[in-house]
Amino acid sequence: MPAPPELELLRGTLDLLILRTLSWAPMHGLAVLRWIESATRERLQIEEGALYPALHRMEQKGWLGAEWGYTDQGRQAKFYRLTAAGKRQLAAEVSKWTRYTETVGFLLAAEPAP
Amino acid sequence: MRGDEPGWQLRRVFRLPSTRARAGTLVDEELRFHLEGRVEELMARGLGRDEAAAEARRRFGDTDSYRRATAAIDEQIIQEQRRMDVFDVVTRETRQAVRSLARSKGFTLTAVSTLALALGAATAIFTMLYAVVIRPLPYHDADRLVALSSPVPKFKGDTLWGLARHEIFYFKQNSRALADIGVYQNDQLTVSGTGPDRPAERVRAARASANLFNVLGISAELGRTLLPDDNRERQGSVLVLGHDYWVQRFGGDRGIVGRTIDVGGFPMTVVGVVPASAQLPDLRIDVWAPAYVYAEQPAYNNHTWNGVGRLRAGFTAADAQRELVPLTQRLPELFPQAESRKFLESTGFYTQVRPMRDVVVGEVMTRALWILFGSVLIVLLIAAANLSNLFLVRIDARRREIALRAALGAGRMRLVIHALTESTLIALAAGVLAVGLAAAGLRILLTVAPTELPRLAEVHLGAAGVAFAAGSALLVALALGLLPSLGASTLDLSPLRDGGRGMTTSRRRHAVRSALVVSQVALSLVLITAAGLMVHSFRNLRAVRPGFDPTGVLTMTVALPEGRFGSRNDRDVGSYERTSALYEQLAERVRSLPGVMAVGFSEKIPLASGFLCTGVNIEGADPTRTRGACPPTALVSPGFFEAMGIRLDGRTPSWSGMDQHDGAMVVSRAFAESTWPDETAFGKGLKYYGSTPPFYRVAGIATDILGDGYDQPPVAIAYFPMLPIPGAILWGAPTGMHLVVRTRSGNPIALASGIRRMVTELEPQAAITNVETMDALVAKSMARRTFTMLLLGVAATMALLLSVVGLYGVISYVVGQRRGEIAIRMALGARMAQVGRTVVGQSVRLAALGVVLGLVGALASLRVLRSLLFGVSPTNPPLMAGAALLLLVVAAVAGYAPARRAARVDPAEALRSE
Repeated sequence: MPAPPELELLRGTLDLLILRTLSWAPMHGLAVLRWIESATRERLQIEEGALYPALHRMEQKGWLGAEWGYTDQGRQAKFYRLTAAGKRQLAAEVSKWTRYTETVGFLLAAEPAP
Repeated sequence: MRGDEPGWQLRRVFRLPSTRARAGTLVDEELRFHLEGRVEELMARGLGRDEAAAEARRRFGDTDSYRRATAAIDEQIIQEQRRMDVFDVVTRETRQAVRSLARSKGFTLTAVSTLALALGAATAIFTMLYAVVIRPLPYHDADRLVALSSPVPKFKGDTLWGLARHEIFYFKQNSRALADIGVYQNDQLTVSGTGPDRPAERVRAARASANLFNVLGISAELGRTLLPDDNRERQGSVLVLGHDYWVQRFGGDRGIVGRTIDVGGFPMTVVGVVPASAQLPDLRIDVWAPAYVYAEQPAYNNHTWNGVGRLRAGFTAADAQRELVPLTQRLPELFPQAESRKFLESTGFYTQVRPMRDVVVGEVMTRALWILFGSVLIVLLIAAANLSNLFLVRIDARRREIALRAALGAGRMRLVIHALTESTLIALAAGVLAVGLAAAGLRILLTVAPTELPRLAEVHLGAAGVAFAAGSALLVALALGLLPSLGASTLDLSPLRDGGRGMTTSRRRHAVRSALVVSQVALSLVLITAAGLMVHSFRNLRAVRPGFDPTGVLTMTVALPEGRFGSRNDRDVGSYERTSALYEQLAERVRSLPGVMAVGFSEKIPLASGFLCTGVNIEGADPTRTRGACPPTALVSPGFFEAMGIRLDGRTPSWSGMDQHDGAMVVSRAFAESTWPDETAFGKGLKYYGSTPPFYRVAGIATDILGDGYDQPPVAIAYFPMLPIPGAILWGAPTGMHLVVRTRSGNPIALASGIRRMVTELEPQAAITNVETMDALVAKSMARRTFTMLLLGVAATMALLLSVVGLYGVISYVVGQRRGEIAIRMALGARMAQVGRTVVGQSVRLAALGVVLGLVGALASLRVLRSLLFGVSPTNPPLMAGAALLLLVVAAVAGYAPARRAARVDPAEALRSE
């Protein structure tokens, strides 16, 4: 058993994580989760079920395309891929996230003038 | 990353889930895949199956709520997708249909223009029907308004008298169905001139009871309406102005209330202004004056008030009618001095209650408009039949293409949608064009429509007309679009077989086409016969001799200010002398105008005045047997008979005779014969008040005139001199006489301005109205028939043309189909003439079948025209035979061109191409 995750997912970041994950390749839901786990070194605590409403909502918004296909083991699974709109959304969210952390960083680094 | 993600072979397994249940199943599968994958993974790390399952579920969270949330999103996606799909299909089909219609321009143009014409005609007539007949009257709760009148069927057929004033109050008190009864009389008043730029003018007035405003739901926009006390004054001293007249004459001056204006020499105070919408049901009114009507007046047999009742909620006109029957029967008992039992019995007098709308529009005009609407609908049907034929031919021509598409998997539904899209596009284009055509057509219609038609001014193409056009267009589109599925219950692939012709379907379609043409011909026959009957009636009417000669006659009303010329006392001899003298001077001056042959005056002129009766006393009549007579009467001046072209036997009244009180009068032949059946009328005596001498003596007997219209019985009239003899005074000095001028000129109206100047010179406060030639009055009196005839004629012509096109189309097509057969026959020695005859014969045979059906239809349906006809029966054999012959000849002509083409078939070439 891996060590228990330390961080709770910040609100609104799940979309960013999913978009970024799918930017590498089309995947099914479980694969998306596994990728997030391994990439974050299993430090994030995600309730796995929450992934699916998120995926479907992003599909509705047109960021993701979805199609049923077969895994290498020959099992049927629903595969998601990033659409052009999804790629634009990813870029926007990444820059938003960077600006946000940067801004918070400024504050944390700032000290009162002597 | 596990090995199963990249390099996956995407294969489309499912299309989008199409139902809710399916959407739920797919979410279930997706989640199960997730959970099972997790379980396997955990087991691979050494957990037991149960342990692994529990751990997987724990990590997943509330499976059920996530499943529901996800499925809900999918449902939304499905719905959006479905909308998109429909949109896609529509755009794709539309694009395809536009392309295919653009390829066959001839077909599209023919179809659109045919439909647009028929639809435009139907829309125009519908708009008229709607505005005049269907739309409610412009009053609050208009369906509760009723008209009250008194028919006297045994006295004079169609005449309606009004209510007597005592009846108004008696009925109101005793009826439960009627909440209130208002009354009015139409009148004309002269608003005196106030300078050269504002000359005296004649205005349309209503003499109204105060409660008429409540009954009609009219309230004042300025000041007040009439009050019950206003109705107690004999002459009336107050006025309410209509909005439009207030603006036109007084510039909309808000200070008008309380001002006194001069009306015919009497001062009248303006007490209020009512809105422009405040009108009588059948007439636009400039000013409202009080009626002289109140409850305490003595009962009198004088039925002259138009009654307007308002029904209590829940009651109908029929309820009110039922109540008034016994109430009317009690009149002789309650008001013996007004209506005797004998009067009721001899005249057939009763009180009639009818819905106001029926009265305003009139039964005959309502019927005429419905008939016209029916006839344009028939034209629309015929046009739709032509379109159907075009579509069927088109489908046949595209049999191979359609079969190919079917074979390639286009479903039956797709083919129907395709056809529907094409027909809808055509119908829409036609609908848009039709609205334009209808707007233009209406403008023309309104110029030829009878001016007596109520609410004509309010006819314009509105929402109702557009809705009608759109609705009809869509119906036609639907019918045409569903046509291909007719006679093709299974998809017919036979055209794909080499040389195959799909004969069964084709034969069935041919039967449909023939049936369509047969019904076109049948419907055309009905319309042509109807139009023929109208033309016949019109000719009969024009051939009628009206008893006067309208050619070259100018008429106008010359109204003298009543204050100075008239009198409140009928017996004031001076007032007769003043008016008579002025009119005599005017006659003299007018006679001096170039081209004038005769000049005279009359209180009534044919076709413009109502010939209601006046009670007169006959010299020597036995008062126990006859209560005198009640002929229509007119005060006339010498010269009137010459000017109106009415032939006289005996002595013609002369100015000198009248001025010397010779007492000469004239009666019409019908009056003379009915009053003195066994003796000569010459020298007989009549008078108005009293039964002792002196009497007026019949000196001339005039030809009867058709004063009520060329289709009405002649008027049995008594003409009295406008200057009475002493001791035999008449019913009041005639201050509103009609001037009648006979001229040699072809354009008598040109004299009007000269005459107007002469009138003003003689009497600056005289007002002139109703400047009209007798010819125009004659035309107007026939306008209803002319209008119906014209429109039926247009409808019949359209029907005929469309049927010809229909016949031509079908015969051409048949000839085209039978080229091979014809070629063989020609090769076997048939002569060209024979071939031609066969083709023409086919066309005529189809038409003959239609003619037979049409004759049956005409016999069954044309009775509806009866009230519009004159001197011709709805079943007129020669006319029907003529229409039938016309259609057969036309059918032969329609078949001729294809026949020639068939006869020119070169056998060798035709057979080669087979």
